[in-house]
Amino acid sequence: MNPLILGIILLTIMAGTLIVMISSHWLFIWIGFEMNMLATIPILMKNFSPRSIEASTKYFLIQATASMLLMLGVIINLLYSGQWTTTKMFNQTSSIIITTALTMKLGLAPFHFWVPEVTQGIPLMSGLILLTWQKLAPLSVLYQIAPSINLNMLLTMSLLSIMVGGWGGLNQTQLRKIMAYSSIGHMGWMTAIMVYNPTMAMLYLLMYLTMTLTMFMLFMINSTTTLLSLSHTWNKTPIITMLVLTVMMSMGGLPPLSGFMPKWMIIQELTKNDNIILPTLMAMMALLNLYFYMRLAYSTALTMFPSSNNMKMKWQFEDTKRMTSLPIMIVLSTMILPLTPMLSVLY
Amino acid sequence: MMTYAVFILSIVFVIGFVSFSSKPSPIYGGLGLIVSGGVGCMIVLNFGGSFLGLMVFLIYLGGMMVVFGYTTAMATEQYPEVWVSNKTVLGAFIFGLVVEIAMVVCVLEGEEVDFIFKFNGLGDWVIYDTGDSGFFSEEAMGIAALYSYGTWLVVVTGWSLFIGVVVIMEVTRGN
Repeated sequence: MNPLILGIILLTIMAGTLIVMISSHWLFIWIGFEMNMLATIPILMKNFSPRSIEASTKYFLIQATASMLLMLGVIINLLYSGQWTTTKMFNQTSSIIITTALTMKLGLAPFHFWVPEVTQGIPLMSGLILLTWQKLAPLSVLYQIAPSINLNMLLTMSLLSIMVGGWGGLNQTQLRKIMAYSSIGHMGWMTAIMVYNPTMAMLYLLMYLTMTLTMFMLFMINSTTTLLSLSHTWNKTPIITMLVLTVMMSMGGLPPLSGFMPKWMIIQELTKNDNIILPTLMAMMALLNLYFYMRLAYSTALTMFPSSNNMKMKWQFEDTKRMTSLPIMIVLSTMILPLTPMLSVLY
Repeated sequence: MMTYAVFILSIVFVIGFVSFSSKPSPIYGGLGLIVSGGVGCMIVLNFGGSFLGLMVFLIYLGGMMVVFGYTTAMATEQYPEVWVSNKTVLGAFIFGLVVEIAMVVCVLEGEEVDFIFKFNGLGDWVIYDTGDSGFFSEEAMGIAALYSYGTWLVVVTGWSLFIGVVVIMEVTRGN
């Protein structure tokens, strides 16, 4: 793509999300979402293959429907309250419709079907933008309307998402689909705590962004998109095998790595609100997540996966992809757990 | 009848939308869009927004719809689908018509129907003139406010329209 056009498009993606995050008028939030979606479409279709175009068409259809639902909810809210500020919803119907629209944008179950298919059809960098930056805008609006969200609906959706994220990722060998299902599951954890303590949801978002960014960067070093290709990294870049192992365990939520911290905080906040069954089910379903992360780490780092003999003797080329921030992200994804007492500064 | 002008126009508006949502060929869909656009303009006129209503006619119908008509005329198929030629399209159109007529009957008959919203009968649809709007037309003041207090809105919408064109050209560029 022409660099000037690419620059303008990336600027508009960022501007769209920022407009959503800083606006107090519902119309502006809708405008920000539309700007974001419109400018993301060419990023998803960078490759111009039929698969990419199919992925971006699916993305466009889902996001446009969700924007329309958002507008409907906003207008119903306007009908019942006569004003456009985003403090709280004045009507249950508009609250449910807006929550539905935002969860469609996030990819929560039962609106999760587009996430693996869209993530699979696009290049790794576009998938990174899709799974990290595009989650910021809907979550910021959910944060703002958190006191008036219908609790039953959101908790059902988040529990379903954790289940779908766990079970859906079990039989996958394509890394982008695995990351998509992992994203669905993590979104479920985030929205479960959103009504009770939105700050914890932001904490989970921060950790999720760090870990997903790290995973995608590790995949982008060797441009691996399949499990088989990842299992050859012991010969290409041996350090990646160890890093994939640690970051995967962190994503699965194992102590003493930092991925444990947000899950721990969420379970604690849920039990403080007399919710026992829900965090039990959530933690059990997170084990499914851990299983397929373990399988990835197993075939990458713990065993020499079966391959043909010429795969075992590669030319050792010099690494040309400069990932400057990768060491920082690795440290942030794995070693932040001792800093948990610092969470008191968030309040 | 003039009291209920907005009600009648809104019914025609929705029927126009139904006519192109039932997915005939784009040329016939354009016909539905023209009808809906014109009727929408008249609804805006009924609320006192004479400038904005005529702007809809000029820019939307006279600019964008004309361009849409020309492009669909260039890209048309050999046997375009009209509403009566395909059972699916006809079925969708009749379904939309039936639902709309049901809603109209609901509004005309009942005093207060509480389905998801409260329908209060025809009283909701009459425009009351309280006589309190001062010396200046509200709509003209709104347009003036758009260019003075609403500078940021003009910047954002202008940028969004520009990005719309850039994205469409980037998407249809192919390689």
